[in-house]
Amino acid sequence: MQLIAFYILSTVVLLSAFLVIAARNPVHSVLWLISAFFASSGLLVLIGAEFLAMLLVVVYVGAVAVLFLFVVMMLDVDFVELKQGFLNYLPAGALIALALLAEIGVVAAATAAREASGFDPSPGADTNAEALSRVLYTDNLMLFQLAGLILLVAMMGAIVLTLRKRPGVRRQNISEQTNRRREDAVQLKDVRPGQGI
Amino acid sequence: MGWQEIAALIVVFAPGVAAAVAGLGQRVLGDRGAMAITTGLVLAAAGAAASLFFPLVFGTHAEGAHHETLVLATWIDVGPIVADWAIRMDTLSIVMMFVVTSVSALVHIYSISYMEEDPHRARFFAYLSLFTFAMLMLVTADNFIQLFFGWEGVGLASYLLIGFWYKKPSANSAAIKAFVVNRVGDFGFALGIMALAFMLRAPDQFLNPDGSVGADYLALLGVDKFSSVKFDTLFGAIRADALVQPFGAATAVPIQSVTFEFLGQYVYGLEIVGFLLFIGAMGKSAQFLLHTWLPDAMEGPTPVSALIHAATMVTAGVFLVCRCSPVYEHTVVAADIITVIGAVTCFFAATIGLAQNDIKRVIAYSTCSQLGYMFFAAGLGAYEAAMFHLFTHAFFKALLFLSAGAVIHGLHHEQDMRNMGGLRTKMPITWGMMVIGTLALTGVGLPAVEGLHLGFAGFFSKDAIIETAYASHDTFAPLAFWLSIGAAVLTSFYSWRLILMTFHGRTRADHHTFDHAHDAPVVMLIPLGLLAVGAVFAGGVFYDAFVEHHNEAFWAGSIYRGEDNHVLHERHYVPLWVLLAPAAAWVSGLLAALYFYGLRAGLGARIAASGGPLHSFLSRKWYFDELYNFVFVRGAALLGDLFWKVGDRAVIDGLGPDGLTAAAKAGAGGLSRLHTGYLFHYALVILLSAVAIGAFILFGQGRG
Amino acid sequence: MTLISDLQIAAPEILLSGFALVALLVGAFAGDGSSRFLRAFSTVVLALASLLAFRQVALPPEAAFGGLYQTSEFTSFAKGVVYAIGAGALFMSGGAVRRDGMERYEFPLLMIFASFGAGVMLSAGDLMSLYMGVECLSLSSYVLAAFLRDDLRSSEAGLKYFVLGALASGLLLYGASLVYGFAGSTRFDQIADAPYSIGLVFGLVLMICGLAFKASAAPFHIWTPDVYEGGPSPVVAFFATAPKIAAVVVFANVLFSAFGVMEDQWALIVAVLAAASMLIGAFGALNQNNIKRLLAYSSIGNVGFALIGVAAGETFGTSSILVYMTIYVVATLGLFGGVLAMRRDGKNVELISDLNGLSRMKPALAIALTALVFSVAGIPPLAGFFGKLMVFRAGLQADLLWLVIVGVISSVVSLGYYLRIIWAIWGKEPAAALDPVDFGVGVTVVASTVITFPVLVIWIGGLINATSFAAAG
Repeated sequence: MQLIAFYILSTVVLLSAFLVIAARNPVHSVLWLISAFFASSGLLVLIGAEFLAMLLVVVYVGAVAVLFLFVVMMLDVDFVELKQGFLNYLPAGALIALALLAEIGVVAAATAAREASGFDPSPGADTNAEALSRVLYTDNLMLFQLAGLILLVAMMGAIVLTLRKRPGVRRQNISEQTNRRREDAVQLKDVRPGQGI
Repeated sequence: MGWQEIAALIVVFAPGVAAAVAGLGQRVLGDRGAMAITTGLVLAAAGAAASLFFPLVFGTHAEGAHHETLVLATWIDVGPIVADWAIRMDTLSIVMMFVVTSVSALVHIYSISYMEEDPHRARFFAYLSLFTFAMLMLVTADNFIQLFFGWEGVGLASYLLIGFWYKKPSANSAAIKAFVVNRVGDFGFALGIMALAFMLRAPDQFLNPDGSVGADYLALLGVDKFSSVKFDTLFGAIRADALVQPFGAATAVPIQSVTFEFLGQYVYGLEIVGFLLFIGAMGKSAQFLLHTWLPDAMEGPTPVSALIHAATMVTAGVFLVCRCSPVYEHTVVAADIITVIGAVTCFFAATIGLAQNDIKRVIAYSTCSQLGYMFFAAGLGAYEAAMFHLFTHAFFKALLFLSAGAVIHGLHHEQDMRNMGGLRTKMPITWGMMVIGTLALTGVGLPAVEGLHLGFAGFFSKDAIIETAYASHDTFAPLAFWLSIGAAVLTSFYSWRLILMTFHGRTRADHHTFDHAHDAPVVMLIPLGLLAVGAVFAGGVFYDAFVEHHNEAFWAGSIYRGEDNHVLHERHYVPLWVLLAPAAAWVSGLLAALYFYGLRAGLGARIAASGGPLHSFLSRKWYFDELYNFVFVRGAALLGDLFWKVGDRAVIDGLGPDGLTAAAKAGAGGLSRLHTGYLFHYALVILLSAVAIGAFILFGQGRG
Repeated sequence: MTLISDLQIAAPEILLSGFALVALLVGAFAGDGSSRFLRAFSTVVLALASLLAFRQVALPPEAAFGGLYQTSEFTSFAKGVVYAIGAGALFMSGGAVRRDGMERYEFPLLMIFASFGAGVMLSAGDLMSLYMGVECLSLSSYVLAAFLRDDLRSSEAGLKYFVLGALASGLLLYGASLVYGFAGSTRFDQIADAPYSIGLVFGLVLMICGLAFKASAAPFHIWTPDVYEGGPSPVVAFFATAPKIAAVVVFANVLFSAFGVMEDQWALIVAVLAAASMLIGAFGALNQNNIKRLLAYSSIGNVGFALIGVAAGETFGTSSILVYMTIYVVATLGLFGGVLAMRRDGKNVELISDLNGLSRMKPALAIALTALVFSVAGIPPLAGFFGKLMVFRAGLQADLLWLVIVGVISSVVSLGYYLRIIWAIWGKEPAAALDPVDFGVGVTVVASTVITFPVLVIWIGGLINATSFAAAG
């Protein structure tokens, strides 16, 4: 039963991944990507890594893929034109891909039939969320912190490259709005008829 | 760190600091500042050197001189070649330190006045101090590499100072000539060091597994660390006749018996090393065949001639031979070559001195000749006598040069003795100094009286050498003896000729110049006076220490003599006539000079004017310059032409640079085309490379 | 192992990251006005980190964070050089940063993060921390390359660097995961004990490709000229020096400590990479007129020379790699100082012809640049000569005669373009006058010249001694 599920899910992953790059419409590409993510999380569930599977759905499907979708839809890029060159490079690319495949095949053949025997998805703990966090916050504390720093750098980079301070931009200031009283906003004038202010 | 070490540091680095400060900061300091700093620091160095030297002579005989090496830093440490920046303080070094710093200090003082009108005084003083520093690095080296550093340093300073008046074409070409001729010598020297490094290798059976030299071998040599370019290692190996295994040799052989095949013959390794090192010494000390640069070097300012080309740098060759006494004590051929070259030079240079008219050139040839004395003394095994003569010669030759400088200064840069004469009344002090210098040079003294040391400096050192030449049993000793006696006659003749032509007789100077001739200012006379003191007393006072009763204690092993070398002692048993011969020589020279240039004034000039073959042979310096010009310069030009047109342009350029350039251009063009600037091309290249390397590993190596 | 002792062992990196976090807060609140202050402070902190790293050299090798972090003399020395050079690059960037509109407080912090990443990957004892270090360095570098965001060339450089860098990171990561899969561990020492398998070799190949990209060794060098030409000069001065030595040393360290037993497998690959780099460096530069592009090729070539030391293996090569790269990055920093000094009428100029007649306009700078160029070209008696001598010697000891011959040929060819610079400086008629040189640039150029000649020449023995440890450890 598991084996059948594995093959179905793997097929879906591979097919979706291929369609990501083959689809003409970039929106379709992103949708195929989401499909690939879903199938992958299914694979993770199969080996007992429910926590990772959930993360994949939440982070990649829920955040990253949606972000991609927004970017693709908002950017006005002529994708048809971009794809023009694609075919020109297909032979070379395919050749490289084939060569790489052959190499990996050799490696796989040389070390065939290695079984993942005795695999424990959550060693020393009841759930793999707990097992994961145990390793993450003790043995690999340094890596965890480093990853945080890298994300920080990425954030800094994004700000540095895109944030612009424009002078004269009107911004909403909520405290100012809420602190506004009647005296500040309204001025009463006695206007006599026929004279103007 | 005791006073000895501090003093040594001051001696070596004060001039270095002076040179750096004056050279780099001359705009800030100005001329006066630069002069004050260099002179002051070199004086300090001289004081420190004196504090090392005098206790050695007068104080510490009983306990023996102390020997130590102050290691400042490691410079090179590559396998067996280890070279430190070090200050070696043995007697030999200390004597040289004293000579170099004291003469240098006096020359600095003298130059303050001599160079008064020169606009580039600061540069001059910086060069002088730089020279002093390099010379001190040379004499305090404890290994051949630092010695070579100093050796090249003094060569550089000499080049800069000869060409100091760079607007004068003759000065420029003289500087270049000095540099080029010295390159010939330095090439030999460098080959010598390489031969040494090649030969001196610890045998395999003494090596530790990690390649370092075993403790028992080090103990045999008496050193802490093996280094094929260090004096201690080499000398230790020679003394112990230790086994060495030259690179590439299958077996180990005692160092004194190592042979190499050279031109089909087997030659002892030590002979090769000794010979090559001597080639270097010949260049630096202007010995026969490589002497041609020294007279031309007189184009430099006179204080330079006094310091570099009389008292210090040119004696570096003698110092090198004495430093390497352990090598030469175990060589036969190399030592004989030194003897012969030295003896020939001492006579040959003296003959040329007879016919020169430029006052400085006469003294320059005299220097050349005196260096010959030192060399053959060293070649015969009397290293102490050579060093003693080096020591006394430094004082009286510097005195002669500086006096000549005073004359030149007084006559507004007139150097031709034919335009002098009768100056005694105009410059009496200079005359006195010159006479003292001449008396010292010609070796005037009271010979053959035991126990009574009466005589000028040169008397003691020169007679010691001449007696040695008679007493030695060497094959070439008689040749050296007779040539040195002959040279003594000639020395006396040309020295007095110089005095008579310059100071006596009717003046041949033009009216205006003669009237304005005057003694030098007092700043110049003070160094002259101090040097005159040295020229008078340096012989008698230091005789005991250098070559007589106390010499063993004084040198304290810094000079090595073989067990059967007693030449210094045997000279006491020479017949009386040998003792009197030098005296007879100088008397006859004096009489001849008086006859030609005093009584029959003008006879010399008439002989010169008649243009006889002997005279022109001598005045053209045995045609050496012409010969070299013909053989080397023109020959090289012809050969070069051949190589240039056929070898270089057709063959090498065609296949090499031109071909390579064409290939390079094509390659560069191809590479540029590869750089399209498109991202996907780049990515393609990267992936392709990765796949190719993977394929190479997976498929290529499996079969290979 | 307590956390405190771990932190002590990793002191240089802790200092850098802690400072960067605090400084980030300061910058965020104080705004760009604080950037000058932060730049000066960052320089000092980098210099301090350098001292801490050099102190590690003297200490025995130690592991921290469960083996993720591992000090050794070899890498600590390199780290010290990286931080010191980073400090130098930051120190001389001041004037250019101000004038080119890069005066933002993130600039010094990104440099700190980049140096930090280099330090982490140098001290990595594990594939994961290695990758973290590589990424931290790379991400900071991408942003730095694009720092002049309104300049088209700078943006292009940043983008190209980013995309290709991501590709290379992918290769590295793929290789690392293969290695993990076949060796069963990500720890270097455990990988070294793993049994031989073809998968391990294939993982190693992919990792070599990824690391070669970071070190810009041919044929993975292809991004280098574009990024160097387009990136802001102060940033490129940093790229060409600190990360360069870090990448080469990491390359060597990974191969030596994790894959030492497989030397037969990788030595030939590295040798081929070295030969290709030297040749491409030499030939590629011949046609260049832009001095930054030329220096990019020069750096490719010089990485090739250093890789001779890597190919020679741990026994022979270790010291030569450090000596060579140290001498090279010191001289290169000075050369980029020269590039920073090339301004005319307030604008950067970067053609070789803009150096025409420099000897008459700025003799001191001309002499310094000449000495540095000759040193990089490896002409005696300058320090660069000894560096080349060392790697060639290592190559000969490891029986790589053919590689040494390729090295000598490339040296001769590369003289062609080095001499073009010299000829422009000394032989050509002066063009219009250059602007005055910044203080920081002047100091850095003089310092690097003095270190190149005579300091390192005189102390070359000391440098060789100071780096001759790893053969024992």
